Amino acid sequence: MEIVFSDASVSFAGRTALHPLSLTLFERRIGIIGLNGSGKTTFARLINGLVRPTTGRVTIGGLDTVADEEAARGRAGFIFQNPQHQMILPVLAEDIAFGLKNRGLSATEIAGRTEAVLQRFGIPHLARRRIHELSGGETQLAAIASVMVTGPDVLILDEPTNQLDLKNRRLIEKTVADLPEQAIVITHDLGLLDSFDRVLLFHQGRLAADAPPEDAISRYREIAAC
Amino acid sequence: MSTRDIVLVALFAAIIVVLGMLPPITFGFIPVPITAQSLGVMLAGCILGAKRGAAACLLVVLLVAIGLPVLSGGRGGLAVFAGPTAGYLVGWIAGAFVTGLIAERLVRDSQTEFMQFASFFLAAVVGGIGVVYLLGIAWLSFMSGKAFVETAIASLVFIPGDLIKAVVAMLAARAVQAGYPLLPIRT
Amino acid sequence: MLTGLDIEGTTLLHRTSARLKLIVLFAVAAGLFAVSNVWLLVAFAIIAAGLYASTGIGLREAFRRVRFVLFTVLLVALANYLFHSLSDALAVLFRLGTLVLLAAAVTATTTVSAFMDEIAVLLRPLERLGLLRAADVSLAVGLVLRFAPEILARYGDIREAHRARGLRARPLGVLVPLVILTLKDADTIAMAIDARGFRRQ
Repeated sequence: MEIVFSDASVSFAGRTALHPLSLTLFERRIGIIGLNGSGKTTFARLINGLVRPTTGRVTIGGLDTVADEEAARGRAGFIFQNPQHQMILPVLAEDIAFGLKNRGLSATEIAGRTEAVLQRFGIPHLARRRIHELSGGETQLAAIASVMVTGPDVLILDEPTNQLDLKNRRLIEKTVADLPEQAIVITHDLGLLDSFDRVLLFHQGRLAADAPPEDAISRYREIAAC
Repeated sequence: MSTRDIVLVALFAAIIVVLGMLPPITFGFIPVPITAQSLGVMLAGCILGAKRGAAACLLVVLLVAIGLPVLSGGRGGLAVFAGPTAGYLVGWIAGAFVTGLIAERLVRDSQTEFMQFASFFLAAVVGGIGVVYLLGIAWLSFMSGKAFVETAIASLVFIPGDLIKAVVAMLAARAVQAGYPLLPIRT
Repeated sequence: MLTGLDIEGTTLLHRTSARLKLIVLFAVAAGLFAVSNVWLLVAFAIIAAGLYASTGIGLREAFRRVRFVLFTVLLVALANYLFHSLSDALAVLFRLGTLVLLAAAVTATTTVSAFMDEIAVLLRPLERLGLLRAADVSLAVGLVLRFAPEILARYGDIREAHRARGLRARPLGVLVPLVILTLKDADTIAMAIDARGFRRQ
């Protein structure tokens, strides 16, 4: 899926969060790194229209994220920094089915797809569990399943391994690596990026590097050392 | 309502539910233990405003009706509506609405601290006590048969506790207004 | 925590549709106020108690659920006895008692989702007028059940944080951060709902 930024910039209340930017993303694995407040999250949220560009435009597979908001959003799934916030119904299976509501699917179809996505991420045993009672790793897997059930072409993950212990970090890293879909990952977990195709480094609202992982990471280390 | 409004309403309803899970407080000078739940009604109006505040209370009433034990002491279900005090519960909706209506019109960011306190207190007393009691007592009188005057007078023992709640609501509402303002202020 | 008050079973009341039970309950509620014969009201109360017991709820739980409401009914009856007459008191006691027991029986045999289906039907006229969407109401109900345990846990955390700082956990000092922290989540939760395309136009 080709994601095209054409002179897209974002300002909130007069402050520029992201300076005008033009680039095309098509690689299977794309990493986004940078210090806190560097514009990473804003950039990622532009992709599925959660943030609207103040100037310029963003398209995903040719669909404009403002003009074709609904359709564009359907192409990109988003995992938030705190996945707790995106699980909105009390029981996991209900929450996963929630994303399929209002799409004209029959109850049997919804149940079938819910079951299939739980199988795909290896968590069918969690179907009847309360979200509140899931562990950190389980919540992250559940959040990924709840987003992937609607069949997006791209998955955007905002610091997916942030609050996890080492074991769960490995589990999520492997889950992301195994995704057949395109994935765009914001992370401070630099080891995750080894096998990535392309890494974007943001600094003070501008793209500071757009390179293979090693080069982008070494530039990041220079910035962080200042 | 926007998605954000729906979420705010639901989160506030959840706060009211949680307030019902906390143990009731007893004061020596008040004859009945006071629960924090009706404090949530005053807060809903003062913090979210009339429309969203009333919607939050309506949501709690709906949860009670569909058989969820969300009232203090784990009470819930249709039996609550069959009792003589159901009017107080239904009165929450109108109470939060009036509380919000007054708060939206009286509270100003430019006011002195004292005036803001006074505005929130008036809103909580008129809406959270006045309106709630009006509906509560009307229903109680209807359900009480001939002794409607006596039961109405007896229900006034809860007023001192509710006045304490109005003070707490006033303090909390102003603190929330300072920290994370949501009240739609009307000029 | 926060599970419905319905109890599993296959009794007659369980098998009766939620709509029929609600219609009968409202009809009986209205009709009871037209009856003033104490003996008739006693008979109704016995039938209601029998129906409530027939749900298979068990005596202890059955009483626990209605004791508070029955206590308020008793107080109202007592006031009638003290200021009016015994027959007035008994009429109020058995009239309201019947109603409470019947209502409790309906709640005990109707699932939350069956109630929600009826609510959706009731909302249909409002939906047609574009005032409210049934899907939004069920979303709101789900959100409360999802986040109430979270908020209760947060209440515990804030109290502990106060203690850790050597402060006494005063109600106001806990309430204000609890409300602010909870409502601040609204933005991300709303964004997550929109991101999942639930409220499409």
